[in-house]
Amino acid sequence: MTPFAYLDPGSGSLLLQIILGGVAAIGVTAKMGWRRLLRTLRIRRDDDDS
Amino acid sequence: MTTTASRTPEPASFRDPEARVVYSPEGDVLRELSPRAQQDWAALESTRFFRRALEDGRIVATEEISPGLLRHERVPFVSYPYEWPFEMLREAALLQLGLLDEALADGFVLKDGSPYNVQWHGSEPVFVDVGSFERLRDGEPWAGYRQFCTLFLYPLLLQAYRGITPQAWLRGSLEGIEPSQARALLPRFRRGVLTHVILHDRLEAKHAGRTGDVRAELKASGFRKELIQANVRRLRKLVGRLRPRRGRSTWAGYREAAPYSDEDAQRKERFVREAGHARLAWDLGANDGRFARAVNADNVVAVDGDERVVGELFAALRGEGSRTILPLVVDLADPSPGRGWRGVERRRLEERGRPDLVLCLALVHHLAIGRNVPFAELVRWLRGLDSRLVIEFAGRDDPMVQRLLAAKRAETHEDYGRDQFERALRGAFELERQEELSAGTRTLYLARPRV
Repeated sequence: MTPFAYLDPGSGSLLLQIILGGVAAIGVTAKMGWRRLLRTLRIRRDDDDS
Repeated sequence: MTTTASRTPEPASFRDPEARVVYSPEGDVLRELSPRAQQDWAALESTRFFRRALEDGRIVATEEISPGLLRHERVPFVSYPYEWPFEMLREAALLQLGLLDEALADGFVLKDGSPYNVQWHGSEPVFVDVGSFERLRDGEPWAGYRQFCTLFLYPLLLQAYRGITPQAWLRGSLEGIEPSQARALLPRFRRGVLTHVILHDRLEAKHAGRTGDVRAELKASGFRKELIQANVRRLRKLVGRLRPRRGRSTWAGYREAAPYSDEDAQRKERFVREAGHARLAWDLGANDGRFARAVNADNVVAVDGDERVVGELFAALRGEGSRTILPLVVDLADPSPGRGWRGVERRRLEERGRPDLVLCLALVHHLAIGRNVPFAELVRWLRGLDSRLVIEFAGRDDPMVQRLLAAKRAETHEDYGRDQFERALRGAFELERQEELSAGTRTLYLARPRV
């Protein structure tokens, strides 16, 4: 992945942008929750991004 | 064409190494693009939104003079967000959000969200950092959102919801107001605070230092540009609705209450007009801008220390479509200093283009009595500007001067008098012309610096 240009956008500020994404964010939130759940159950490893 | 070696770097342009601003020996504003920025530029140049914004002047006039080298139009006078009243900061925010919204539709994004990327043609904002646009990559959020909050949104909310003018804060911190600070300052139940402030602070505290992981996670979860667009539109709506809350102002409506007649004001206008043409005039203590409008100058910087007065002047000028008068909030007893890295990143007021005419009307008594600035000090500062000067002096018998003196111990300003003032003025300036006003209690001088 290419790094951000020159500004550290802040991790919290990035996550907040999902919440601020309105209706379009529903799918993203669901997928993120699902991935986190799988990770917690150790079905998927942390670094597995495929 | 100039060689790279003969160009002078702009001291404020070091943060983004992809697109640095430099000056040619002739004073042209140039931007040197890295190979990556050059690719972004090539793509940007052909987009509809960019061409449209160049045409209507929302983005600074820009041409590519050789591969990887851009030339920008020079703005008449550089100013900073801590010199803008509420209305100007809001206007600059809306320009930025509007451009971002249009850019997203064409597959571009801004890599930052800084008000320092906006300058002014009079009352019209212009976006000057062409290097801020880059192609939007899949799964990437808007990297400038946090900066937009700290430097635009929180300062605006602070004034809209609390009635606290943010200029002192912005001048004190070039990074603006942090989410944790904004959370402590702002009321909980007002529009925008829950998400952009409280949640922002909580998420920031919880996920500190995980930017890399979070980006990977967002990308994997299918983050897409519709989310940025939704956020940008919400922000536009929020910012567009904000109104300045202001306390009492000594200076708003000052002219109506001022102790001089309309006839005097007309004579002052004529005197100012007859001072001749200037490329750049400074009107110090501009109030409602009457004399900034009268002066014969290509551009005027209209300075006043009262945020409300400057906000109202800006709104009036914006209504008139003025492209020549730039109103700024500056306390002349404490003008903007050098700020940022080595104190040169944001320059002192006096170092951003010298005027060739300075108006100093109904001001001397306020500085000399109100702020205890000695005549000799005031004259030395004015002489340092090295420009023609129209200056007004109000004698001890003037009603405004009496009001100011009444607030002080009698002996503090014993040396406040016309003779003392003229002596100080003559020490550094040749007096070319003078005219009496208000039945002799006030005098106008046209002066030229002594060489």
